[in-house]
Amino acid sequence: MRMLRWLILPLLVIPLSWVLLTGFSVNPNEVPSALIGKPMPSFSLQTLSGETLDSADLAGRPVMVNFWASWCGPCVTEHPLLLDAQRRYGDRLAIVGVIYQDSTDAARAFLDKHGDGGYPDAVDEGSRLALDFGVTGPPETYFIDSSGVVRAKQFGPLDAPALQTKLAMIGVSE
Amino acid sequence: MRALLLPVSVAALLALGALALFTALQPAVAPTRVEQAARLATELRCPDCAGLSVAQSTTSSAATIRAEINAQLAAGATPDEVRRHFVQRYGEWILLSPTSPIAWLLPIGLLLAACVGLAAWLLRWRSPAPAAAAPVAAAELRRVRDEAEALDA
Repeated sequence: MRMLRWLILPLLVIPLSWVLLTGFSVNPNEVPSALIGKPMPSFSLQTLSGETLDSADLAGRPVMVNFWASWCGPCVTEHPLLLDAQRRYGDRLAIVGVIYQDSTDAARAFLDKHGDGGYPDAVDEGSRLALDFGVTGPPETYFIDSSGVVRAKQFGPLDAPALQTKLAMIGVSE
Repeated sequence: MRALLLPVSVAALLALGALALFTALQPAVAPTRVEQAARLATELRCPDCAGLSVAQSTTSSAATIRAEINAQLAAGATPDEVRRHFVQRYGEWILLSPTSPIAWLLPIGLLLAACVGLAAWLLRWRSPAPAAAAPVAAAELRRVRDEAEALDA
C-alpha cells in the first residue's frame, strides 16, 4: 500500500507533464495536411492575367502553391519572400499563387502595392481548389516535388528558414 | 420502502425493454437527400471558422462544401462516401465528432475509475479501524481504584 502511494505521484506527474509540454509546444490551430505523400489535386484555373493555368502544364517541375488574399495581414509579411524565391529559383521552381476568397480587383491592387513576382496568380472561384488542397485559411503554402507528390505544407506565413527547409524537401536549393 | 425497490426496478427494466423493442420494430424511414445533406453539413467542420459546422457557417468555404455535399449526393454518392471525400482532403480534423472509439470510451473509463476510487475512500473513511485500547499501567490502575474506594468511604 505504501509502495502504491509512492508510485501514484510519478504516475500522475509524468504523463501530465508530458501532455502539458507537448501540448504547449504545438499550435492548436495548425491542421496537419492529409495530402502529404499524395498527388497534388489537378486543376485548371484562370489567372489574373486572363490565361488558363492547367496543373498538367506544371508536370515534371517542383511546384510551390501559395494560397493568399489581399485582406490577409500575414500574406503581406510573407510576400517579399515569395518575390525573392521567384527571383532566385524561378528557373527551376514553378510558383503558383491562388487567390483565396477575394475579388480580382483587390488582388490586383495588392500586387500593384506590394509587387508582382511575375508568377501566375489563379482565381479560385468558390474556393474549389482550396477545398481540394484542404486549406483552412490564408496564407498556406504547399510544396510539390517534380513527380507531382505533395511533400510539405506551411501553415501560416513563410519565413526564410521554413522556405529553405521545405524547398529542399522538393529538391530545390541554392 | 425497501420491499418496493425490487418490484419497481423490475417494472422499470421491463418498461425500458418494451420501449427498446418497440423502437427497434418501427419501420425504418430512409432519410431524404435533403435530410442526408443537412445531417452531413452538421457533421463537417467549417474549415475557416472557429468550431462551427458547415451548416452553421456563412463563409464561402462552408457554402462550397454544402454545394459539394449536395452535388455528390445527387450524383449517387452515399453519406459515407461524401464524408470520406472530405476526410481525404482535410484529414479526420474535418469531422466535428471523433471517430476513434478511444475518444468516447476513455472519459467513461476515467469516470468509472474515479467513482470506484471515491467509493473505496468513502468506505474507509466511514468505518475507521477500531483503535486499540492503550495499555494502562498497573500503578495507574491501582491509584484510580484507591481514589474510587476513598470516595465511597
